[in-house]
Formats: sequence, C-alpha cells, structure tokens
Amino acid sequence: MLKKFTSVRFILSILLVLSIAFAAYSIYYKVEYWGFNFAPKQNSDVWTIEAHISFEPNGEPIKVSLTTPQNSSAYKVLEENVVASGYKIKKNGTRMVLTAPAQENPQDIYYRVMLFDNIDTRGKTKAPRPPKPQAPVMEEQRLAAAKQILAIAAKLPGDSVSQVIRLLNQVPPEATVQSYLPLKKTQAEMASQLRDLLAIKEIPTRVVRGFRLEENKKSFNPDLMLEAYIDNQWKIYDIKTGDKGLPENFVVFQRGGTSLIDVEGGDNSSIKFSVIKSVTSSISLAGRRAKLAGQKSRFDYSIYSLPLAEQNTLKWLAIFPLAILVIVLMRNVVGLQTMGTFTPMLLSMALVKTGFWPGIICFGVIIGIGLVMRFVLSKLNLLLVPRISSVVIFVIIIMQMLTVAGYKMHFDIGQSAVFFPIIIMAWIIERASITWEEDGAVNAGKEVFYSIVVAIVVYVIIRDEYIRHIMYAFNELNLVILVIVMLLGTYTGYRLTELKRFRPLVKG
Amino acid sequence: MWNWLPRLAKPSDLRKAGVMGMNRRNYDIIAPNNDRRLYPLVDDKVKTKTLANKIGISTPGLIGTIEHQYEVKNILEIVRERKDFVIKPAQGSGGKGVLVILDHNGDTFTTASGRSVSYAEIYQHISNILSGLYSLGGRYDVAVIEELVHFSDIFKDYSYQGVPDVRIIVYKGYPAMAMTRLPTKASEGRANLHQGAVGVGLDIQTGEALHGVQWNEPVTRQPDTGADLMGIKVPYWREHLIIGAKAYEMTGLGYLGADIVLDAYRGPMMLELNARPGLAIQIANGKGLRAKIREIDKFYPQGLTPEQRVDYVLSLKY
Repeated sequence: MLKKFTSVRFILSILLVLSIAFAAYSIYYKVEYWGFNFAPKQNSDVWTIEAHISFEPNGEPIKVSLTTPQNSSAYKVLEENVVASGYKIKKNGTRMVLTAPAQENPQDIYYRVMLFDNIDTRGKTKAPRPPKPQAPVMEEQRLAAAKQILAIAAKLPGDSVSQVIRLLNQVPPEATVQSYLPLKKTQAEMASQLRDLLAIKEIPTRVVRGFRLEENKKSFNPDLMLEAYIDNQWKIYDIKTGDKGLPENFVVFQRGGTSLIDVEGGDNSSIKFSVIKSVTSSISLAGRRAKLAGQKSRFDYSIYSLPLAEQNTLKWLAIFPLAILVIVLMRNVVGLQTMGTFTPMLLSMALVKTGFWPGIICFGVIIGIGLVMRFVLSKLNLLLVPRISSVVIFVIIIMQMLTVAGYKMHFDIGQSAVFFPIIIMAWIIERASITWEEDGAVNAGKEVFYSIVVAIVVYVIIRDEYIRHIMYAFNELNLVILVIVMLLGTYTGYRLTELKRFRPLVKG
Repeated sequence: MWNWLPRLAKPSDLRKAGVMGMNRRNYDIIAPNNDRRLYPLVDDKVKTKTLANKIGISTPGLIGTIEHQYEVKNILEIVRERKDFVIKPAQGSGGKGVLVILDHNGDTFTTASGRSVSYAEIYQHISNILSGLYSLGGRYDVAVIEELVHFSDIFKDYSYQGVPDVRIIVYKGYPAMAMTRLPTKASEGRANLHQGAVGVGLDIQTGEALHGVQWNEPVTRQPDTGADLMGIKVPYWREHLIIGAKAYEMTGLGYLGADIVLDAYRGPMMLELNARPGLAIQIANGKGLRAKIREIDKFYPQGLTPEQRVDYVLSLKY
C-alpha cells in the first residue's frame, strides 16, 4: 500500500517539474512575442500617426520614398498601412518605396502607423559608438567664429551640448552668433549648424525627427531634435531650449537618415501629419504584437483575445487558485480550523472590494448584530430552514441600514456592506451560533477568529496588484498551483498546530 | 521576546515518539483502510444498532424513531411508559444534538444537567434534528429515541453528570489504544475532549488508568469531583475489547473508534462507532499511535476471530 502512495507522490513530483517547465517556457513566450510585462502597468499609450503626402505628377513615372519608423526598445510599431491606389509598395529597410507609372491627377497618399510607446525604456538604451564625425569644411574666418562661439558657450550652464544649443538660441543673440548664423533660421537649418559646431568638438550627433504629440493635432511638420553621443549613450536635446531628455509628449519617428520624403515624378510635394492618441490596456495590445511576431493563431485561442468584459471576469478567476493554495496551506500545513473551507476566500474577496478597515468593521457589525438576532430567534423555537432564512433576510436589512447610514453620514464604511456575500454572512452567523451552543463561546470565537485570520492572509496576497497581474497575464502558473495543491494532498507531516498540541508526548 | 509564542515540539521529536498527525491519519490510515462506501454503516446510528444486534453486540435499546416532521408530536406517546430516555440524531457526530432526559411529567422534562425543559423545546429540538442541523453535511436526518444507559457505579466518582464512555481505537481488528472519557462541568456533561471532558488513557491489556488529560494538559484528579484518576480500572475489560474487535468484522472498517459504555445491569454496550476517530487519545495515553500501528502491521497475525485477536493482544508480553 505504502509503495503505491510513494509512487503517487513520485508521479506528482514529475508533473510538478513538467508544469514548471511548461510555465517557464510559456512565460518566456508571452514576454518575448506578446510583449507581456511582469509589472502591472495597466495602460499603454498608443499613438496613431498619419502622414498625408500630396503632390502633382509631372508626367514621369512616380517613385515616392518615405522614411518609416522602426521598432526600437523605446517604441514598437503595431500596425502600418498605406492607402495608395495604383502604387506598388516595397519596404526597403527603414524606407518605404511606392512606385507607379505616370499619373495625371494630383496624388494623395496616406501612410498610417500605430506606435506603442514604451516610456519606461526611453533614452536608456546603450548604443555602440558611432564613428567620429567628420570635421565640417569651413573657410578660415568662419571656423574662427565657430571656435569663438564654442568658447563663449563653455561659460553657459549645462553640458557641452546644451551650452551650444542655449547660446545659439539666446535672445537677444550674441553678436558673434548673429553674424555666424544665416538670417532664416528654420529648424532644419539650426540642426545642421549645431551638428557642424559639435563636430568641431568631435561629438557625434544625429538629427531626430518626431512629433510633439498633442491629441488630435493635425497638419503639422515633424519637429526636430538633436541626439548626441555622450558617455556611450545617445542623449537627446531639444534644439530650441537645450534641455536634455525626451520631452514627455515627443515620439520619435526617425533617427539620423537623410530626408523624410523623396518624390520623383512629382512637383509641389508636401507631407502633413496628424496624430491621435489612444490609451489601451497593454494586454489588449498583445494581439497586435503577436501578429507582428507571427504568433497570431496561438494568441487567438488565449483568454486575451476575448472581449474586455469577459477578460475582467477571468482576471478575478485567475487569482482564485492562489487563494485556494493559501487556504490549503493554512488548513493542512498550519492546521487552522476555519468555518467552511472556502468561506475565508470569499471574505477576502469582499475585503478587496470594500478596502481593509471598512470591510473588517462592516463584517464585525454584521456578524455581531446577526448573532444577537440569532439568539433572539432561537428563543422563538422556529424550524431550521425558516430560521436560517430569517437570518439571511435580517442580514440584508442590516446591510441596507448600514449603506443608508454610511451615505447620510458620509462614512465610507457603511457603504461597503453591499459587497459582502449575504448567504456567506448568514451562514457564518448560523454556524457560529450553533458552535456557540454546542462547543461554547470560546470555540465559536476561535473559529470566527481563525476564519478572519485566513481571510486576511488571503486578502494581503490577492490585493497585491503585482500578484494579480502576474496570475492573470501568466495564467499557466495556475497549472503549477494545481499540481502543488495535489502534492499537498499527499503531505503526511505534522501540522504546525499539532507541534503544540502533541508537545506533551515528547519524551524528556 | 518570543516567549509569548506557544512552545512548539520539534517534528523530529514527535516522529521519534511515534505520534500520528492529522494528515498522516487521513492519508496513510483512513484512506487505504476505510472504504468510503462503508461510512453510512457507522454514520447512521440506527444502521449501526441493527448491525450490532445481528452479530450479538449489545447496544442501548431502541425506543422509537421519528422520521418526519408530522410525527414529532408523537414524542409524548413514544416515551409515555419511560421515565428516562435519550434523543439523538441518527447521523450526528461528536455528541452534537444529544439530549438526555432523566424524568418527565406531563409537559415538563428534566435534562441530565437538572434543567427543566418544556415540551415546546423538545419539539423544537427534534425538528432541528430532522432538518439536519446536527447531521454530517446538513442532510435530512432521523431522530432516534433510545434507552438511557445506567452507567456503572465504578464511574460515579469520576464523572460530572453525563455518561462516561470507553473509546477503543481498533486497527485491522486489533484493539490498539483505549481511553475513557469523563464528562466534566466544563464539557457540560458531554464526553468530548475538545469540549473539556477529561480523557484518561487505559492500558490496552488491563484497562487500568495511564494518564489523565484535560484541554491537552495533564491532570491527575477529576476537576469537579476531585477523584484520583489513577484509581480507574475498567471492569469487564476483555468484553470491552471484544466489542471493539467485533466492530471490525461488522463494518469492514480497518481503522475505527468504538465508543462503549458500561451499563450497570447489561454490561458493556456499544454506543456508536466512528470511522474517523480523533487523535487526542494519544495525549491521554502519553504514547504515539503510529508506533502501535506499525507494530500491528508488522507482527500481528492475520485471519483470526475477534476473540482470538483480543486474546492475542492480552497475551502479549512487554
């Protein structure tokens, strides 16, 4: 007989190893291909950037070449599509090339890209060292002026890059700067002057095109920023203020590179951008990411492809196995006697909804008044079912009163009464009063107390946003918990409470 | 700093003392030895009584049963000829719902604790039994009315009201461990250790007292009567053991607890059987049960009759 059971344990241990291996693989897979995160960052910003390219054909075959954003650690392209009838589309590295035979009418091409902006990793990525910048070719006089500007800049606050940017943007401008810079100062012109100046100091730089994202902003040109390679990292600078770091609302569209758009076979080309921001839960983005990674079919059969309402329900369900594991541990390993097996779990669920202290106080009030009521009822000698039923109805009345009182007195505690499952409350009252009659107040109090203790332990665990997120996002952990619970079913060691109970039996 | 923590025994020490824990009892002993299908035989006291009488184990006489709510009013008719009687749920456990009536006169009943109880309260109590208040899992139940045991005088000094009984743990038909459970004031006349009754471990070969325990702590005297617990020697000990041993054949349960009372006129009688007897008996005996069970598994012969098994146990030399 004993052999058979050791083999059950053996099989379960193997299952445990297998389930852990499966869960580990599955977690890796979800992080890698679906972009799931261990942190419960619930929402991600998704930006939709639309580029409207228009030009007039000049009778030649048309070739439009457009820079497109590329995936990086800072943001991921979720979806990309082009509306351009009659064009052949080819992706060529970072550039998208559209070709068409000669056209007559004015042309409109729409390019839309959805970006997921991973704010956490912005500007924190290490990059390999770029080659040393080539010193700009300048006439001697201009070079002297440039060196003078650099010398003046060195006295300004900030690091060497922001010093130069600040000097060039000073109002009123420094005399040397004024003579050095051209009259027409476009962003592009400023950027190229800055690059020249910094090249003299042998700082590698590149121009960054992107957008200051404002919701529903339409028809604007990309903003420019400057990135300089300092301390083994690319650091980004605002070319108007010299401030370091990526502004909150700036999304990078293109780094380095040459032109944003080239049109062959057309004149008067223009490109206009519009930006729409939408907030989406990061799990709901997973589908798009899975598609990018070529893992669409597997995703379609996961719970994350369900509508949000269903997902919210499942999110609650996903935390149950962990709560059950805690209860199994509390009962079979610690040895606490609670009222009913899963009552503490339901209590802790209620506590999550009410908040801790309001919930505990509310619970105490309901159970306390309910017990008094139950003792009055026991004097009336009612039959069991009508008696329990009247306790249920009485509990409902207490909840109504507490809720009204809470509302009138602006006292949040009362209002949380509704979250307690009434049947469970009535059942606890009935059970407690019977234990009271049968085994005395001490035993009844102990059972209620242990139930609350277990409920609080479960509450602390399931309230944690991290744990909740992880149990939902990596639901394969439930399989591991299942096997652990089954393994605990073969635990024949002493319970913690038995170490105290059987202490008199220890010899000596 | 940690003084307030209850002092705990080391698991290794408990293992050395052969103590059986709840998990091991459930997993290693009950699960392989007690077929769940057999439980109704011991969970239903009417069934137990019928079975016991069939193989010649005496039990308290059955006065009547009440199965339906409309029959509850018959209680007065059923007990008309009786002075004292006991009302209990057929499927109750742990002494729950047991009402001992010593005397009744018209509509007033006197309970074992001397309290006066009205007919309405008796009616209510039986209703509660029928609706499953005391039964395992809340199933609809039957109220059993049986004769009161006139327990032997030898227990008189040791018991506060209530009925003291002898609990014998029977493993594979062999009496393994025994104790007597003495009701106290704290237990309100009930013989349940967790309610405060005193447990006194009994030598399995002689029926003599070994240790006394109340609330898991050692005691040497009955707290209410002051009687010296070590003076207990249960008479008709072999008959007690034979009842326990026979319960194995009767039920087929490999691990059971037999509750036996000693009636002054009829000798030892089986009160009820338990398929999941508790582990407090170890504390009362000052001994672990696991060591005993290992011994039975290893050395005791198989295929004996109940009497032969009892004699085998009695003949062992330690």
